[in-house]
Amino acid sequence: MIFESCAEIRGHFSDYMDGVCPAETIHSVRYHLAHCSPCTAELERYGALHSELHQLSRQQVPPGLALRLRVQMSQELHRNLSQRFRVRLENLYRPVWFPSVAGALVALICIVLMLGAGTPQTSNIPDVPLDLVTPPRVQLLAPMTFDTGAQPLVLVTYVNAQGRVTRYRIISGQHSPGLMQRLDQMMYYSTFEPATSFGQPTSGQVVMLFRTITVRG
Amino acid sequence: MDTIRSIGVALDQTAPVVTGEAALVAELKAGSEEAFAYLLAVYQNPLFNLISHMVADYGEASDVLQNVLLKVLRGIRQFNGRSSLKTWIYRIAVHEASNHRRSWRRRLFHEAYSTDDETLHLNVQASIYRSGRETPYSVYEQAECQAEVKRALACLAEPYRAVVVLREIEGLSYEEIAEVLGIAEGTVKSRLRRGRETLKRKLAVRLSRSL
Repeated sequence: MIFESCAEIRGHFSDYMDGVCPAETIHSVRYHLAHCSPCTAELERYGALHSELHQLSRQQVPPGLALRLRVQMSQELHRNLSQRFRVRLENLYRPVWFPSVAGALVALICIVLMLGAGTPQTSNIPDVPLDLVTPPRVQLLAPMTFDTGAQPLVLVTYVNAQGRVTRYRIISGQHSPGLMQRLDQMMYYSTFEPATSFGQPTSGQVVMLFRTITVRG
Repeated sequence: MDTIRSIGVALDQTAPVVTGEAALVAELKAGSEEAFAYLLAVYQNPLFNLISHMVADYGEASDVLQNVLLKVLRGIRQFNGRSSLKTWIYRIAVHEASNHRRSWRRRLFHEAYSTDDETLHLNVQASIYRSGRETPYSVYEQAECQAEVKRALACLAEPYRAVVVLREIEGLSYEEIAEVLGIAEGTVKSRLRRGRETLKRKLAVRLSRSL
């Protein structure tokens, strides 16, 4: 250990604070400080100075200057004419590209949705005649054989909303009890499609004609 | 820019010259705008702080910072990687600030300059807006104290001020300071010693009060 005067010891304070002294000097300084209060106070002043300097507020680049620096940097990087033109073009379309692309996408989605809604769809529900009034139609005629004679038998049949015959009236042709019985049976077992009015089933009448057909051969 | 981000982490942790820095330098040399934007984001505030202490004027510091970044941008192709990018940029900043200060003083001739009132006013304003709990009096007192330290720092001769600012405020090592200023480490030590000694003398009253 080297024994030094106060002035010499104080000369090491700067290095001592930064921890860049040789080990021998550190020992000398520590030994001296342990016995010298003025030098201890002096070192404390160095510490206080360090603290004051360290606490100085750090200057921040103001936002305006930061922007100016970015612009300046960009201009410097794109100095030739074509690059400058490209940057200007980018600056022009950059603010509008997002709204325009978003708008185009939304329009596309709307068009697709509208087209999807317009495609014809097949329905399992059978068509309902929407005429104002439709007459009743024969759906299934019971297979009965009877002889109408030479004259055809014409009758008006009254069909209810359920498609069943409620009554019938012979307009022309022969009348016989046997024929009437056969006709009753046939009407009982036959089914009709009821008449409709504005799409709703209702009662109606249908004219039927029966004729005997003889096939030779 | 994933590479650049990883470089950023490395630089923030003040790691030694890493391969990431080489990648950043390569990108900078290639003229990548993203790399320069990153460089700006990392260095603009430390550089502005350093320059403001070197030129001791807020408005002048803005001009100097612009010149420094312009020089970095134009000179990056000549950067040979013998020192770290940080010390290279700091060296440009210190030289530019010194040149600016010299020309500024020539312009003003013998006219004395003072940053007292303006700096104090700015700091008080900024501090009051920032802190909600402190009283205006304590904020003003703190600002006055800082202004006094800044005045003392501004009065230091330039070689000492540069070393003190780089060491005490920017926290650079002796080796880095030597690289930035292009001087030997021994010179850094002696300048720092004399700078601190002068500052301590100028701020003797305040330092005694704070003990």
